[in-house]
Amino acid sequence: MYDLTDDGKRPDRLDLLLTEYFRPEMTAAHLPRRIAAAARESTTTLERFEARLGIEATARGISRVGTGPVGKPATAGARRLIEQARLEIHEYLRGQRAFFRVPVDLATVPDFQRSVLEAARHIPFGEARAYAWIAARIGHPRAVRAVGTALGRNPVPLIVPCHRVWRSDGGLGGYAFGAEIKDRLAALERTTPVLEGCTSTRIVCRVGCIHGRNMRPDNRVVFASVADARSVGYRPCKVCRPAA
Amino acid sequence: MDAERGLMAKVARGDQGAFTELAQRYSGKLLAVAGRLLGSRADAEDAVQRAFLQCFAGARSYDARWAVSTWLYRILTNVCVDELRRRATRTAHDERSAAGALAAASSNHHPPAAYLDLHRAMARVPREARVLLALRYVDGLSYGELARIRGISINTVKSQLARGKSLLRAELGKRGADHV
Repeated sequence: MYDLTDDGKRPDRLDLLLTEYFRPEMTAAHLPRRIAAAARESTTTLERFEARLGIEATARGISRVGTGPVGKPATAGARRLIEQARLEIHEYLRGQRAFFRVPVDLATVPDFQRSVLEAARHIPFGEARAYAWIAARIGHPRAVRAVGTALGRNPVPLIVPCHRVWRSDGGLGGYAFGAEIKDRLAALERTTPVLEGCTSTRIVCRVGCIHGRNMRPDNRVVFASVADARSVGYRPCKVCRPAA
Repeated sequence: MDAERGLMAKVARGDQGAFTELAQRYSGKLLAVAGRLLGSRADAEDAVQRAFLQCFAGARSYDARWAVSTWLYRILTNVCVDELRRRATRTAHDERSAAGALAAASSNHHPPAAYLDLHRAMARVPREARVLLALRYVDGLSYGELARIRGISINTVKSQLARGKSLLRAELGKRGADHV
């Protein structure tokens, strides 16, 4: 039994029961070894991927993200948007961003494809939906194959998260950057938190908010919901508005 | 205490041996916290592994004013809380699959029969209080350490723990358990 008397009370039966319940587990020898091995393993697939990315923009938003050659930005505004997108993608691929703020320009995209891409944007970070879900959402439940094609021609992958759309049987489906990257992105989003609080300001933000960028690492606490954060004295950020 | 800080300094320099030693020293306690919060051994091992990897990657930003254990618990609870969030959103999206996941989680965890009531009652305790209870009872952490780990005030720690325990008492009482 630990010394739990800092509240000035003697431990009661519930204290004893809880101490038994939370007794440390025997660690199988494989775990520390597995951890050490994982630390040695390279995690650079996404970094190499990032280095290959090219971005194009109009004055209204990002118009293309891809691995081919890219044209020069026509205006200063477009250049600024490209810089913003580059930074956001960089943070996203390092697990430091759970949403994109940079606008996209889908003006040259056909109507059907645009509605597919808009639907894909509604899939929350870290989750996946089936092609059929998109088809149903845009009111064309039988157009599953067309949805797949529309997503495959997504001009702004990553920012419009077509990688969150999988086959109904749980299969990956296709991806412009290849199945390995799609799989890596799913794993990345499974391990990136969405809400973080700053222990010095007691403000909770979406991961990727400008406030979080300046936060010291040891001031970072993760929350499961805004309500949880409120219950222990945090308030939602007014810039990134995590409740919305 | 100082020996552990020395160990962290070695980890920050990329010393694999020191890292393995750190993992050996703490994985049991971290596994207990993660296991009780997440329910399944496999998920708990994943969470502990992720926490250690973050610790390895962020070792250079480790501030020696922190006790190594406090720092590790902060990283681990961040990982676990996020995992709990993910489960909550899964539940909202698909009740059926979440129920399946829950059943699978409890079937491969096997809480000892004596704690089955407690295990069920624990599920009624709000997440933040549950995290604090786990940290408090797995390693006897003080209110001050709990406050530091979750970035909250000591008074909030006290009120959350008291609320968690009174919910547990009420739940266990309802089940006719006479041991509280």
